[in-house]
Amino acid sequence: MSSSLKDKLQSMFNNVQVSVLEETRMAVSVPPGSAFAVLRYLRDSGFDHLALVSCVDWQEEGEIEVVYILTSYMENNTEYAPEQKLHLFLKTKVQRDKPELKSVIDIFQNAEPYEREIHELFGVHFEGHPRLIPLFLEREYKIPPFRKDFDTRKYVKDTFDSIPLVED
Amino acid sequence: MPQITEIAKTGSQRELEMYFGPQHLGMVGNFSITLKVEGDRILKATANPGYLHRGFEKLMEYRTWIQNFPIVCRINLVEPDHMEMIYAMGVEKLAGIEVPERADYVRSIYLELARVGSHLFGLWAYANMLGFDTVAQWAMYHRDLVLDLFEELTGGRVYHIYIWPGGVRRDFPKGFKDKIVKTLHSIGGCVPDYDDTFFNNRLFYDRAHGIGKLSQEQAKSLGAVGQVLRATGMKYDIRRVEPYAAYDKVPWDVPTREDGDAYSRIWVVRDEMIESVHMIFKLLDAMPEGSVYNRIPNPFKWKIPPGEAYVRCESSRGELGLYMVSNGEDKPYRVHFRTPSYSHGLTILEKVLESESVADVGNIMISLYVVAPEIDR
Repeated sequence: MSSSLKDKLQSMFNNVQVSVLEETRMAVSVPPGSAFAVLRYLRDSGFDHLALVSCVDWQEEGEIEVVYILTSYMENNTEYAPEQKLHLFLKTKVQRDKPELKSVIDIFQNAEPYEREIHELFGVHFEGHPRLIPLFLEREYKIPPFRKDFDTRKYVKDTFDSIPLVED
Repeated sequence: MPQITEIAKTGSQRELEMYFGPQHLGMVGNFSITLKVEGDRILKATANPGYLHRGFEKLMEYRTWIQNFPIVCRINLVEPDHMEMIYAMGVEKLAGIEVPERADYVRSIYLELARVGSHLFGLWAYANMLGFDTVAQWAMYHRDLVLDLFEELTGGRVYHIYIWPGGVRRDFPKGFKDKIVKTLHSIGGCVPDYDDTFFNNRLFYDRAHGIGKLSQEQAKSLGAVGQVLRATGMKYDIRRVEPYAAYDKVPWDVPTREDGDAYSRIWVVRDEMIESVHMIFKLLDAMPEGSVYNRIPNPFKWKIPPGEAYVRCESSRGELGLYMVSNGEDKPYRVHFRTPSYSHGLTILEKVLESESVADVGNIMISLYVVAPEIDR
């Protein structure tokens, strides 16, 4: 399964790097422009469950990596074939100073809150997302708070130490 | 509802926006939903999480691998045990640590006890919301009996921090097996009472049947897992599709239902609880002797080689995942939890609330088994 999928992906798309991490794990790196198309191809070829959309800030490289983790649901409600056990990490790196990516809600509806969360916490803009409004936070931040250069402890000290005590 | 759609089309002034939660009595947990209603019919629902956002995933980047255990169990306070398990699994995968066979059994038994306790808590919330106060009190009492077991085993009632990378903290104390059996028998002996007063009760059927319905196709496209998916007929359970701990060592069944409504979901919960109890008995019988702990390197100097891992387990709410990245330091570089309530409480809840009645919001939300802290993290 993993080797045939690797060949198919590399023949169908340009600049795709596939690495088999272990028997049931596979990583696919694609340029940001083709992430949408590869994801749709993978959904149609059996990876119908988007488990997670995650994001890693690689500060030194100046890049933000968005990771889509794909697994499969059962085909006929009772059996899980051995080849369905494959997990796939679809990764794409965007520039840290201007992170933009196409939204994948048209392919996976459950990506909606994940993209909202990544937009809020990492500052990645998802093009075509219907409501890119804050999900968790209520304050404004200069740096998106889950990026590596956002110092939580310094922020807490600066923000809350300046609030006077009640008895003052 | 022909009249309502007509009024909506003509732009009537009768549309109203109202807040449901976090202070509303029908709301369980710190969570709120903004409802756009017409009479008592919901036109649109918007979920508002964030009341419990504590930034745990960022906080964990500042702490060493072992120091994170007290944080992970606070992500889901109803069943912290699966959170410990998933984090330990992630660390073991990245660091390449093996677990002794007996520890696998101990972990499975411990996690199934947690599942029973968590389902009883869920039953308490659900029965309470429907007005079955007696059943709710029973469920809470029986959950307390499970917590007594945890207290004896780990010293803590709610947060246990029992599972560690490489195994569990300590073996079962003397006579603990008999205590588990005795407690589970006393809970199991009340199943007929639960059935008579609640599960086979016509009132429960009338309130829950056909409410919050989700077809299997919808469930799949919205990313459903756990009971929400199993109530539509799919035997999708991580314990079965990708076994971890000792779940592949004993035979057990995945209960399902077909209808995909609140009624089916609560029945799946009931059947799953009974299946868990049977599984614990089987695991106790099959448990081998031996060590329950493999030594790990000195936690104060422990550096884990660079890499990334996605691990998953079945919590009592569905697929619980963890994506973890290490860059070779003594702290995680990035931690991201995939919690089942995230899709259930945001995407699916907004979808199924449409065109339901305001009186059923709590009903649907609790039947989807949403725990707010799990969404916010």
